[in-house]
Amino acid sequence: MSDAGVFEGIRIADLAWVGVGPLVSKYLADQGAEVIRVESSVRPEPLRRSGPYARGEEGLDNSGYYANFNSSKICASLNMQHPRGVEIAKRLIAECDIVTESFSPKAMRTWGLTYEELQKVRPDLIMISMPLYGSSGPWSMWRGYGHVLQAAAGINHMTHYPGGEPIGAGTAYTDFLVPHFAAAALLAALDHRERTGEGQNIDFGQMEAAIHAMETAPLDYAANGREQQALGNRHPEAAPHGAFRCADRVRENGNAADNDRWIAIACQTEEEWQALADAAQHPAWTVDPRFGTLAERLANQDELDALVEEWTVEQQAEDLMRLLQEAGVPAGVVQTPEDLRADPQLAHREHYRLLDHPTMGRCAYDGPSFRLSKTPGELRKAAPLLGENNEYVYKEIVGLNDEEFVELLVDGAFE
Amino acid sequence: MTEASNAPQTRSTATDSAARRPAEGVGPLAPFRVLDLSNELGQLAGRMLGDLGADVIKVEAPGGDASRWIGPFYHDEPDPERSLHWWTFNNNKRGITLDIGDGQGRDLFLDLVRSADFVVETNAAGALEDLGLGYARLAEANPRVILTSITPFGRDGPYAGWKATDLIGAAMGGLMWLCGDPEQPPLRPTVSQAYAQASVQAVVGTLTANFHRTRTGEGQHVDQSMQEAVTFTQDNATTTWDLIGLNNGRPGNGRMASGQISGRYIYEAADGYVAAVSYGGLYGPGSRLVVEWLDSYGLAADLTEPEWREKLDDVTGFRPGFNPEDAEHLSDVLAAFCKTLPRAKLVAEAQEIGAGWAVVNSPKDLAENEHLAVRDFWQEVPHPELDESFRYPGPWARLSETPLSIRRRAPRIGEHNDEVYFGLLQLDPERFRELSDAGVI
Repeated sequence: MSDAGVFEGIRIADLAWVGVGPLVSKYLADQGAEVIRVESSVRPEPLRRSGPYARGEEGLDNSGYYANFNSSKICASLNMQHPRGVEIAKRLIAECDIVTESFSPKAMRTWGLTYEELQKVRPDLIMISMPLYGSSGPWSMWRGYGHVLQAAAGINHMTHYPGGEPIGAGTAYTDFLVPHFAAAALLAALDHRERTGEGQNIDFGQMEAAIHAMETAPLDYAANGREQQALGNRHPEAAPHGAFRCADRVRENGNAADNDRWIAIACQTEEEWQALADAAQHPAWTVDPRFGTLAERLANQDELDALVEEWTVEQQAEDLMRLLQEAGVPAGVVQTPEDLRADPQLAHREHYRLLDHPTMGRCAYDGPSFRLSKTPGELRKAAPLLGENNEYVYKEIVGLNDEEFVELLVDGAFE
Repeated sequence: MTEASNAPQTRSTATDSAARRPAEGVGPLAPFRVLDLSNELGQLAGRMLGDLGADVIKVEAPGGDASRWIGPFYHDEPDPERSLHWWTFNNNKRGITLDIGDGQGRDLFLDLVRSADFVVETNAAGALEDLGLGYARLAEANPRVILTSITPFGRDGPYAGWKATDLIGAAMGGLMWLCGDPEQPPLRPTVSQAYAQASVQAVVGTLTANFHRTRTGEGQHVDQSMQEAVTFTQDNATTTWDLIGLNNGRPGNGRMASGQISGRYIYEAADGYVAAVSYGGLYGPGSRLVVEWLDSYGLAADLTEPEWREKLDDVTGFRPGFNPEDAEHLSDVLAAFCKTLPRAKLVAEAQEIGAGWAVVNSPKDLAENEHLAVRDFWQEVPHPELDESFRYPGPWARLSETPLSIRRRAPRIGEHNDEVYFGLLQLDPERFRELSDAGVI
């Protein structure tokens, strides 16, 4: 590696698991921090037990789900149930700049791994705790994960078809939203420490961060007493605005997604509407008086959408996207995972990085979505095997001698 | 707070540090100043830097920023001072008017850059360069400055010049493909997630660059793509395609991961909806407790029978492991049960047995939510000119030593022109009048 990265010399004990915590520490790992995932085979990280697996073969060291969130990190296994588990964790944390965790507040208290206790062994420690509902309050012990948290935060209420059920984003959505907020808080705290020497404790309630992605809905209620409602794919100030069916994809190998092709089109201005008319070569609907102004297009959207779709359904989605963009209409294919991996823009930006993993082989990992002109960072290595770096972590960082290390190993402390 | 002595001090203009830092600004970024040129694509980014304590100056075109006309409006009266969009995304900012397209305006902007630490912008790729305000020019004025450019697709590459709204970002980044019902079109969340993702990830990139600057003094250019930000919402869908060649699709009211659709998640309660985990936790570890819970209301149907007992205990992970009839039966039993109880009671009782359910909350539910109230989440923000105050969403992270807070409502048009032009830039009043008359300010 030529450039050590922005966070060279910053060491993180990552006690978190599943989505949110590991995605926060991934940012720092890919920019040079030494991130130690502390895991256990006694209670394995759930993502290691979730597919997709390389070649479809199940195994704790074969999950692509785990791998993608843990690039550039190392892993030490530690059995917190072992009599010396907590002590060793504490000794490791004493050598770290940052602790990230997402256990229930009770678990950390039971182990004596509260910020107050940890600060005794590391006075300038930064610790971020990321339970779903925060570290205090009546719901602090409640369970769940991103797929239900999006409902709790209001996102499901704002995501459904007219008259339909509040279905939400179809994924564990907040797992892929709130880590960026948490990373922002953590990086600000780290900068503060760099300037002042002062560490701190961060209580990050995932639900509270997710509410900040509710746009104007909270203030509309506070100021106007109005409950905003989901609009399907529509927009109060743009028409046409939605996903329109395109022709089946023409190619030889055939895929389930090939007869499910869609283009998103958003006309916010008169100029864009005229550009759409030009691109469509002025069929009757583009001069229909029912759609003469934005107000009329908004009032007659059902008819307009049906007519636009009569046109789009004859076109290949990619061709249509190019045609519309060249004409100046905001438009884009509703891209499938397969499309994303073949997307020329993402390829140009080298979003997906191929990394070699000892058991999984070569797989694609997400890089960051930003480019830093002078410190680009680097996905230094594929995800770690469970316990891959025990010897390094326990001997060189924690400072166990050979004898102690072997004794604890035999005694099951590193399971 | 001891930043005053430790803050980066190599700025080219000698500004009084007390003036740079509002007394109430105690967030971790309190020593820093941000110039915010962004539209709705990036306004959350500047606001988050403000939430973190930075002095953010929103630079608007004379007459006011176009995003002041984005609804809804206070009391539904369209007015540039009453846009709830403006209020939501521009609190914790000061506001000035300045035409940076004008030569004199550009020079004034460069003067501001000399006293700033960050510039955030959302112009089309290359547009800032055309105004003579590209990164190279800004860095000439202030080598420490960090310029963050948020664009739909990134600053270079085949789609660099393309246009996109939130809808297009949600489509091109893969979010919509995974959202919705298989029998209906792909769906966009009505609250803009592509803009949010782009803004929040831009803050992470900006603060990564900031840490580098704190250590080395070197500024740089951060190039944030909305499309690329949205690809993070794929869950494991791209990995699934990569490893096993399956495209996850739209799972309706369930969840799809690793190429498999889970059980149904969303159920109607007596008074609204709940989000249960897959089949409410009726299968897999803990299923026995969930069946007993239903049974305590006499609504477990035949799920207490040994044949079902075995099936439900047997399954783990994402694999439903049932034939379609079994799956439908489980869903039906749970749906019938949920309809009999209010959602808050359902969720509280599910949580008691360790099942991670949640209420499907509306904005009103959130405003009245007891947990958020106990955590003192909402913050009253006064709007003195309306003689009212409103409850805004409060801190998105609780930092023990450098807390976040809302220190000011969004600025009125040109509200801080005097402070900034006379105070910060020490502009001669005569010159200020000339520039105002010429429409530059």
